[in-house]
Amino acid sequence: MTKKKLLVNIFGPILSVVVLISIWQSIVTWGHVASYIAPKPFDAVRSVTSNWSTLAPLTWWTIKETVYGYLAGALLGAFLGVILSKIPLMQRVLYPLLILTQAIPIIALAPPLVMILGFGVMPKVVIVAWIVFFPVTVSVLDGLNHVDKDLLTLAKVFGANPLRRFVVLEMPAAVTQLFSGLKIGATYAVTGAIIGELAASSGSSLALYQRSASGSLDAAGVYGTTLIMTAIGIVWFLLVVGVEFLATPWQRRSTARRWRRGAKPVLPNN
Amino acid sequence: MKRNFLSISVAGAVMALSSLTVLSAGSVASASTLTSVKFVYDFPGPDMELIPVVVAAREGFFKKNGLKVSVEFPPSTSSTTQLLTTGSGDIGFITTSDMAVAVEAKAPILSVANYSMTNNWGLFAKPGSMLTLASLKGKKIFSWGDTWTNAMIPFVLKKAHLKASDVTIVTGANDTPLLMNGTIDFTTSTTNYSIPGITEATKSAPVGIVGSAAGVPNVPVWVYAVTHSYANQHGKNVKRFLAAIKAATIWASAHRAKAVADFIAAYPKSGYSKFYSTKGWDLTVPLLTNKAGKYFVQTNAQWTTLATALKGINLIKSIPAPSTYYTNKFIP
Repeated sequence: MTKKKLLVNIFGPILSVVVLISIWQSIVTWGHVASYIAPKPFDAVRSVTSNWSTLAPLTWWTIKETVYGYLAGALLGAFLGVILSKIPLMQRVLYPLLILTQAIPIIALAPPLVMILGFGVMPKVVIVAWIVFFPVTVSVLDGLNHVDKDLLTLAKVFGANPLRRFVVLEMPAAVTQLFSGLKIGATYAVTGAIIGELAASSGSSLALYQRSASGSLDAAGVYGTTLIMTAIGIVWFLLVVGVEFLATPWQRRSTARRWRRGAKPVLPNN
Repeated sequence: MKRNFLSISVAGAVMALSSLTVLSAGSVASASTLTSVKFVYDFPGPDMELIPVVVAAREGFFKKNGLKVSVEFPPSTSSTTQLLTTGSGDIGFITTSDMAVAVEAKAPILSVANYSMTNNWGLFAKPGSMLTLASLKGKKIFSWGDTWTNAMIPFVLKKAHLKASDVTIVTGANDTPLLMNGTIDFTTSTTNYSIPGITEATKSAPVGIVGSAAGVPNVPVWVYAVTHSYANQHGKNVKRFLAAIKAATIWASAHRAKAVADFIAAYPKSGYSKFYSTKGWDLTVPLLTNKAGKYFVQTNAQWTTLATALKGINLIKSIPAPSTYYTNKFIP
C-alpha cells in the first residue's frame, strides 16, 4: 500500500469524525439548543469521564453480554450453516424456520426470555446470539453452496475424502462469506445487548443508566452513554475485521509469505 | 295561477338553498373557530387515566370550550417534558417528580393543575402473600425504571432501614407475569394500576403497602403542565382546557360505566380489558379531589415537600421556591 493510500485510510475516518463533531457543536451552539434537549459534544464526553466510576462496571457488563452472545451466535450460525449445506433435507425443513426467527421482533422476545431465564446475563446473551446467528448461517450456507464444483470433483478424483475436501476446499472457500456474516453480526450485537438490558436488568445497566439520565433530562448523560455503546460496537467490528485480515491473507497476495513457504533462498553457484 | 305557483316554488327553492348555505357556512365557521391543542400523555399508550380527556372529547366538553384537542403519546415515559419544550405538544401530563427534575434542568415547564391529590404509589405482592417492610430484605423488587419509581424506592428502603444492597431491584417490561410465577417478590406501582392488573390475573386483590405506610412523601403523583411561553401566549387555551377537563371529570365520576365505554370506544386496541379500565377508573376517582372536594388545586406545601424529599435522595440539588413549579391561575 502506498504512503498516500495509508494516510487516506487512517486520516480519512478521523477527519470525517472531526467534521461530524464540528457540525454537532455548531448546531447546538448557533441553534441555541437547550442543554436538556441536546448537549455539546464535549459535554457528552465529560459526562462519561466524570461518571466513569459508575459507568465502567456497567460498560464492562455490556461488553461481556455482547461478546458472549456474539460468540454463541457465531458458533451456532456457523454450525447451522455447515449442517444445512451438508444435509439438503434439513435445509428445506429448517431454513423457513430460521427466517421465522428473524421475523419475530426482538422486543417481543425479551419478556418470555426473562420469565424462563431470569434477570441475569443469560437473557441478554440469548438475545445477542439470536440476532447474530442468522447472518452467519446465511453467509456460511451461501459460501459452502458456491464452492467451485469442478475443484470438488477434481479433489474427489485425487482421492480426497469428504472431510479433507471440506477442510481443504470448502471451508477456505466459505471463509470470505463467513466474515461478511460475522461483520454484520458484530454491528448488531451491542444493540441486542442493550435491548436485553432494557427488558431485564438486575440492579443497574448501561441501558437503564441511559433511561434514568433521559428521565432526569440529563441529555449529556444520554448522549455520553450512546457514545459508549457506539464505541463498543465499533471496537468489536474492528476486532472482527482484524481477525479477518489475519485469517484471509490470500485476499491480499497470491503467494504465501516467505516464512510460510519455509524455503531458504537458493544462491547460484559461482 | 301557474305563474304564481312557479314564482312561489322558485322563491321557495332559492330561500331553501340560501338557508342551507347560511347553515353550512355557520357550521364551517364554528368548526374553524375551535382552537387546536396538542395534549401529550405520559405513557406510550392510552390507559384509563386518560378518561377525563377522552370524555371531554367525546361528550363535547372540549367543543363547548372552543377547543379541538388531539392526544399524542410519547415514545417513552420520560419524553413528555421534552416534547413540550420542543413545541411538539402544548399541554402535557407528567409526574410531579418529572416536573421537579425539569425545573432542576432549567426546562421552562410550569404545572397548571394537579391530576391526583395524594400519593397512591406503593409495593404490591401476590394475593395471600406476606408483605411488610421487614420482609423486603433479600427480595427482588420490580421497578419500571421511570423517574417516579426511582425517586420513591429510596424512601421505602429508608423506612425499612435497609440499604440498596439489601434488596435486588429488577427492571423489565411487565411485572404481573413475573410476580405470578415468582420471578419477582414484589412489584411497585400505583393502586389504580396494580390492583386491577393483579386482580384480573389472579381473581383476588393483591397485598399492598401504599403511600406514607411505605415511607413515601404524600404528594400528588401527576399534574398537567405547559411551558412558560405557552402559558403566557395561550393562557386562555389552558384555562379552557382545564374547564373542559373539570367538567369531563365530574361527568366521568358520576357516569363511570359510560366513561369507560367512551374510553374503550376511543381506544379499542389499548390492550386493557373493560374490567381493568373499570376497576382502574373506580380507584382513580377518589384520588382526584382534595379534602375540601376541590379538583386541580396545588399548594406550596406539596411542592416543598416533594422538593425536600427529592433533594434528600439527591435526585435534585436545590429546592427552589414553590412558585417556580406551579400556578393555580388557570384553574376554573
